[in-house]
Amino acid sequence: MTIATLIIVFVVLFALGVPIAFCLGLATLATMLTTMDFSPAVTTIAQRMAGGINSFALLAIPLFILSGQLMARGGIARRLIDFSKALIGSVPGGLAFVNVISCMLFGAISGSAVAATSAIGGFMIPEMNKAGYDKNFNAAVTATAATTGMLIPPSNILIVYAVASGGVSIAALFIAGYLPGILVGIAIMIVCAVYAKRHNFPAGVRVPLGVLARCAAAAIPSLFLIVLVIGGIIAGIFTATEAGAIAVIYAWVLSTFIYRQINMVDLKELLLKSAETTAIVMFLIGTSMAMSWILAYENIPTIVADALVNLSDNPIVILLLINLVLLMVGVFMDMTPAVLIFTPIFLPVAVELGMSPLHFGIMMVLNLCIGLCTPPVGSILFVGCAIAKTSISQIVRPMIPMFFAMFLALMVVTYVPELSEFLPRFFGLID
Amino acid sequence: MHRLIRILDVILKNALVVLMAALVISVSWQVISRYVLASPASWTEEVARFVMIWVGLLGAAYAFRTGVHLGLDILPKKLTGRPAQILKLFTMLVVVLFSVSVLIIGGGSLVGLTWELRQYSAVLGLPIAFVYSVIPLAGVLICVYALAGVTGEDIAEAEGQADSGV
Repeated sequence: MTIATLIIVFVVLFALGVPIAFCLGLATLATMLTTMDFSPAVTTIAQRMAGGINSFALLAIPLFILSGQLMARGGIARRLIDFSKALIGSVPGGLAFVNVISCMLFGAISGSAVAATSAIGGFMIPEMNKAGYDKNFNAAVTATAATTGMLIPPSNILIVYAVASGGVSIAALFIAGYLPGILVGIAIMIVCAVYAKRHNFPAGVRVPLGVLARCAAAAIPSLFLIVLVIGGIIAGIFTATEAGAIAVIYAWVLSTFIYRQINMVDLKELLLKSAETTAIVMFLIGTSMAMSWILAYENIPTIVADALVNLSDNPIVILLLINLVLLMVGVFMDMTPAVLIFTPIFLPVAVELGMSPLHFGIMMVLNLCIGLCTPPVGSILFVGCAIAKTSISQIVRPMIPMFFAMFLALMVVTYVPELSEFLPRFFGLID
Repeated sequence: MHRLIRILDVILKNALVVLMAALVISVSWQVISRYVLASPASWTEEVARFVMIWVGLLGAAYAFRTGVHLGLDILPKKLTGRPAQILKLFTMLVVVLFSVSVLIIGGGSLVGLTWELRQYSAVLGLPIAFVYSVIPLAGVLICVYALAGVTGEDIAEAEGQADSGV
């Protein structure tokens, strides 16, 4: 009865277009009212919300959001693109590869794929359009390639997962994301190679070694952030939150005093925009923390686990089922709420099957990356389409082979735990 | 009403900019005091956490104002005319229902409870009731903006881009 209340209230409000954070809050309230009085129910929810946000680990999120915005505006993206172009621009369809690699590099210094889409796509999509590439393809490449940044650390969504899972190490998750992120990047580049060959995309100009060296040198200050932020986290010198602050200061100094792209007015605007984005995430975290409390209170994860085990006792089949459910969820729901809602439900099942919470987190994030690129919902998709001046229905076609490639990568990541666990173990972050 | 909303917007925006800057500065100061000055400041973590609660809740009101909270917009985009207006009114009602019950009543009673129990923060000795007072405050702001939206105020001053920060 209580579960039914939760699901019905949530699904109805969600379908009607009520913002998810409010759907979660009201579904939780309705569920609680079936077993307790009004006054303790609302006080508990308010307290769970504030308590859910009151965490030092979560502070990394506003910091990585702000540093991502600074990087997107501050001339860092341009230098990463120049470097990738000198590196690989000369092969047929080179600009597509430049796009993918630039997105991966940007993902390696920023925590937000939306920032990557607007920063890299803002330069690359118009340039690819001009070079005669199909604009729908260009938007599709940028959107899918930008998702690699959610696996390649730093990554805001992995921090959200760390909190939702109740204590998986952020450092371990960050390092775990590298190989799966690179795998997705390679999968997308393979699709690009086939596409470039079939459509006879032009090759770029081969650059002399001197230019390559110059571009590499220009990109070093930006790429140094990888060493500083991720190196510092792995070495245990500072926490992810402190690394976030370092990333903000570094990106601010670089873009204000060295590249001279950002002034005080821009800074104020970026602070406001970051506060707004932070609030969207925090409000969601708050209400979903209240919901996960009622889920645990009503023993719902156990009920779901039993139901899944009843369907099949084969772990391979159950993992496939979980993946299919998450793919469907990802089509209709943005990534942050999806991670917050479904981690407390599916993680206990996965752990019972012998999967590590680390591996499950990487699998879930990669899975929802696919959903983020499918219409009708997906912030990256909208940004990519807006830049390419095309519509969502137009880019579905070039997107299909990309989905296929990403799905294959998902299957590899799901069934090969070593891909997620090798690096964290190598650095001694897990047993 | 119109002028009042504009003034509220300006105050809220500036408050968010200042809070966000305070958040960055306090965590940065933690890093600097620990690694550069070698005498870690004790107040930074607490301040940063409390500031984030304020950014989260005040920002939630602001995000409601700009219409960027994440949601499924298939139905709102499909409908036109009267059904669209009814749906918008319904959404506002639902949002107000949550804000009044959980944020204003629930948050208010939480403030009262922590005040009566004399809970203070561990390092700075700030009353927890003060930190939590942003919950009913955000509830009131959301209700004001919802009312403004229903009475024909332009709810989205700028067509904001939903961004979940991922």
